[in-house]
Amino acid sequence: MANALSDVQATFLSLDAQYNVLFEGCKNQTQRDALAAQYSTAQQNYQSALNATLTDDDAQVALLNTQLKAANAEVVKATAQLGNISKVIDDITTAVSLGTQLVAMV
Amino acid sequence: MPSNARSSAANLKMRMAIATVCLGCLALVVGCKTSEDAAAAATQMSATAKSLSDYYSALSVILSGTDQIYSLNEELYSKPYSAESRQGLNTTQAELAKRIAIAADLSALAGSFAKLTSSTAPADVAAAGNKLEGEVDNLASIKVSSGEQNAIKSALQLFVTAVQEHKEHEAAQAMDSLASSLSALFDKEAPSWKSVYDVYVQLGTTLAGNLADQNAVNNSAILKPVLDPFGLMPSAPAPDLSTKLAPLVKKQILARQTALVDSYGNATEAMSKSLQEMSQRIHLVATDKAMAFRAPPVTVATVEQWATQVLSY
Repeated sequence: MANALSDVQATFLSLDAQYNVLFEGCKNQTQRDALAAQYSTAQQNYQSALNATLTDDDAQVALLNTQLKAANAEVVKATAQLGNISKVIDDITTAVSLGTQLVAMV
Repeated sequence: MPSNARSSAANLKMRMAIATVCLGCLALVVGCKTSEDAAAAATQMSATAKSLSDYYSALSVILSGTDQIYSLNEELYSKPYSAESRQGLNTTQAELAKRIAIAADLSALAGSFAKLTSSTAPADVAAAGNKLEGEVDNLASIKVSSGEQNAIKSALQLFVTAVQEHKEHEAAQAMDSLASSLSALFDKEAPSWKSVYDVYVQLGTTLAGNLADQNAVNNSAILKPVLDPFGLMPSAPAPDLSTKLAPLVKKQILARQTALVDSYGNATEAMSKSLQEMSQRIHLVATDKAMAFRAPPVTVATVEQWATQVLSY
């Protein structure tokens, strides 16, 4: 539970901390909308995870957890470089989507 | 002997007789070696449960702060705050409200427990126990702790039944079980509540930093330690000075973030220790052993200090 919650939390907080910079980096409204949608989902995932039971003992949860950790690391790396905003948003989408799958396993 | 002196002597004899009966009954109530242990156990449970209620109340203030940050972020920086997220936060807030009520009622119940031997107290305790049992039934959303919640329910049922049937020793044993279950519930849920606090502090740190970058913060407070010795008051800094002060302000925000996280960690550890200590002491009383310490756990003061600070936000 604690690990799964903390990884979903890390995705959301990382996105929140970088949101303004990423928003400025978006080249068009489509990218801004995509970023906002991912932020909204990451926030919902966190609030849901807080109220939910996530068991780290479950093999599938553990696998998703590992993937989410790696995806979070990719987001941090891509955000730091900020060269290709489309790639950053793709990386964020991957991490948020893994978080959604984790929360859905309640 | 003057009449008022006779009256005083009679009062004293009467009070001593009542005190003797009460002390004897208290000793019977919990089956302990001394009535002082029984009274101390009840007092400690009451004080620790009060601290627990204050701890949860402080977390409720923190969660309201997070709601406020979400709303500000939405208005200022177009960060979405969806109805689903709002609902999720409200669910957590409702769970906290239940825990505040349970801990407060438990504090009152422990107070009633000390008066168990008076003629009306068993009914009072049973009524308080039934109320508490209903509240524990409503604990559900933080599902990680369902085992501990069931243990609390079982202990409360045993306690209420024992009081209604005047089985005093069983009542003390049920309180023993209740105290240990409460301690386990707190420790099991600790990661969830830590998450609530960490998210509030991290979101607040980011927002405060953004506001400092935009000169939306009055930075003059940072000049106060320099000007105070000369009896001078800082004025609101001009925009160019405010911009120059922004890095120092952001440094202060980060230092404060670390201090806030540390103070919460200390308060949580102190709360956990207080509950464990209370549980161990009540166990001694319930198993007819003498208590070495009768004052409330000293760690309660750390919790109260933190809670008072947060409740003043």
